Amino acid sequence: MRVGIPGGLLYYRYGKLWTSFLQALGAEVVESGETTRSILSSGVSKAENESCLPVKVFYGHVLALRDKVDAIFVPRLVSVRKGTHTCPKMLGLPDLARVAVEDRTPIIAPTINFQEGMWANYRAVYSLGRLFTHNPWRIIRAGIRAWREHRLYLERLTLGLDHRSALRGEAENLLCEGRELRIAVIGHHYNVYDTFTTMSLLDRLSSMGVDVVTADMVPEDLRKKELKRLPKDIYWSYEQEIAGAILACTRHRLVDGIIFMISFPCGPDSIVRVLCEQENKRMGGVPLLALVIDEHTGEGGFLTRIEAFVDMLWRKKGEAAREREAVAV
Amino acid sequence: MRISWPHMGSLEFVLSSVFEELGLEYVLPPPSSQRTLELGARYGPEFACFPLKTTLGNFIEAIEAGADTLIMVAGRGPCRFGFYAETQRRILEEAGYEFRMVPLEFEPARIPTTVRRLRELKQGRSWSSLFRAIKFALSKAYLIDRLEQQALHQRCLDRERGATTKALEKCYRMVWKADSYASLRRVEEEAFALLLSLPRAERETVKVGIVGEFYLVLEPFFNLGVEEQLGNLGAYVERNIYLTDWLRPSGRNPVAGHHDRESEEAARPYLTHFVGGEGLHSVGGTVLYRRHGFDGVVHIMPFTCMPETIAKSILPQVSRDLGIPVLSLVIDEMTGKAGVATRLEAFVDLARFRRRAGERGLDLSLQPAF
Repeated sequence: MRVGIPGGLLYYRYGKLWTSFLQALGAEVVESGETTRSILSSGVSKAENESCLPVKVFYGHVLALRDKVDAIFVPRLVSVRKGTHTCPKMLGLPDLARVAVEDRTPIIAPTINFQEGMWANYRAVYSLGRLFTHNPWRIIRAGIRAWREHRLYLERLTLGLDHRSALRGEAENLLCEGRELRIAVIGHHYNVYDTFTTMSLLDRLSSMGVDVVTADMVPEDLRKKELKRLPKDIYWSYEQEIAGAILACTRHRLVDGIIFMISFPCGPDSIVRVLCEQENKRMGGVPLLALVIDEHTGEGGFLTRIEAFVDMLWRKKGEAAREREAVAV
Repeated sequence: MRISWPHMGSLEFVLSSVFEELGLEYVLPPPSSQRTLELGARYGPEFACFPLKTTLGNFIEAIEAGADTLIMVAGRGPCRFGFYAETQRRILEEAGYEFRMVPLEFEPARIPTTVRRLRELKQGRSWSSLFRAIKFALSKAYLIDRLEQQALHQRCLDRERGATTKALEKCYRMVWKADSYASLRRVEEEAFALLLSLPRAERETVKVGIVGEFYLVLEPFFNLGVEEQLGNLGAYVERNIYLTDWLRPSGRNPVAGHHDRESEEAARPYLTHFVGGEGLHSVGGTVLYRRHGFDGVVHIMPFTCMPETIAKSILPQVSRDLGIPVLSLVIDEMTGKAGVATRLEAFVDLARFRRRAGERGLDLSLQPAF
């Protein structure tokens, strides 16, 4: 059975987990690969105008797979941590995919919901495995193997590898190499690591001689500590990571500047942005650039803003260094 | 303490009845206007949903009118609504307004906090008097909903355009003045008699259902009076959300006559999971309207509303499969009245054409949604 995995949205987080699980079960996995111009434009033409950019990209990936595979794998992640939810678009994603393929290709959609406890999730994974094999041990072995690879992948991200090298299991290509200027690029995985929609922002920054820090590289306990300080807890799973990372970077001056990557019109981000900008200002924190991208974002305007931001940070850094020298003299 | 809250449909009658009953001071925010919209759009986040901006505008105008305590309902997602109170508090504080925001959360884990906040709000009045006041206000809300429903049904038969709307406003005032269950019963009889006594014309009507995001469906100023426009175009209108559904989640649709579960079942072939807000019920409601013989469905949503965007992506398929025209109206601060009016006119024409064709047994090719 040929199973397609669309390379959009949560693929940027669980891609390794999904592919290795399905492969261990003996399925032939077909990935739609990285986003390209044609994927984006087919997605944009099919999706509703009001959808956010990643959903449009996701539609494009689904359409690219539609006629190549026997089924498309679009799990429904309701919650990945107790007491939190993912964004509504992810709750409805399998149904959106079904509309996108016009019922031509079946959609495999297990529901993962940590609000309902481990047992429900185990059952969901098991019934997914039953589609491929009737041997329960094989399913369990595949699950354990996939989980291990997933942990390894996340660990690599934490160590500062970029998404592509971490997926391939390579150890080179570190985003953070100890250069002088350090910028945090924080946002959803599918906003930060998608090289096409972000016009390879991470590579560009590193070619400008800037170290990049992503939300994965901010230690988890720092992020959690920051979230505890908020008057109202954030109930979106991934927004917790984003807000936690931004606030931790600000409070502990981990970086010289923060780029908050937002795709238009991302619901949770529009709200979290208010919170982050205000807390950042209150703490007298680091410069924060909220970068909103959509399918119409032009490369010129995008680059100008990045360059201006980096220049500003360099100048600020230079001033600080001069002040230190003056004090020393 | 001068308490205020944002407008939402006839919520003002309900809450002011509670505070009047308790003898507490409150401030009604000025009626929503273009200025509310401008204030909200100026201070609100760029692509936050439209209701956040409009209620923010209401809050600013309420503070200007002398309110110092603002009530807002909060919750725990997945929709953004649960975070409104916190976001609006931050925005208003940054803009330099002085006030206190009281977010009320009604979920099991947060009940103790909510009880503490309610205790502050009631300022020494007894709990039993608070409950009595709320109960009485709920009966008012229920009556208002039934009156609104009656108005929706009969507006298309008005011999004189606007007569029903005028009568409905009179009914609102009558309900507002009622101060005991006995007078409420009297008001009920009088109000229904008033609505039913309006002169009616013999006219061919079409049946149009309204689904969508609750705030926008309930707020005639911000949805540009879709219900009234549809009624004036000769449509028998029904909506799947009334205020009491929202005030009493357990009693969902006591007025419209179908239930939560029913609507979820109906949505199942298209949308199988709760997506926050009213997304699931917008899809389910459309299917139910089709089953009940309606000729078309108008779907109202604010720009960038997350659950309704999902519904909007799925509704074209529902429309194709079941052969019911669906018009999605996406509304934000830029939406013009004329554009909406034109689309509604075209839509009612389409629905009427399809109804006639259906009555004559003509074969209707599948209509694309628009």
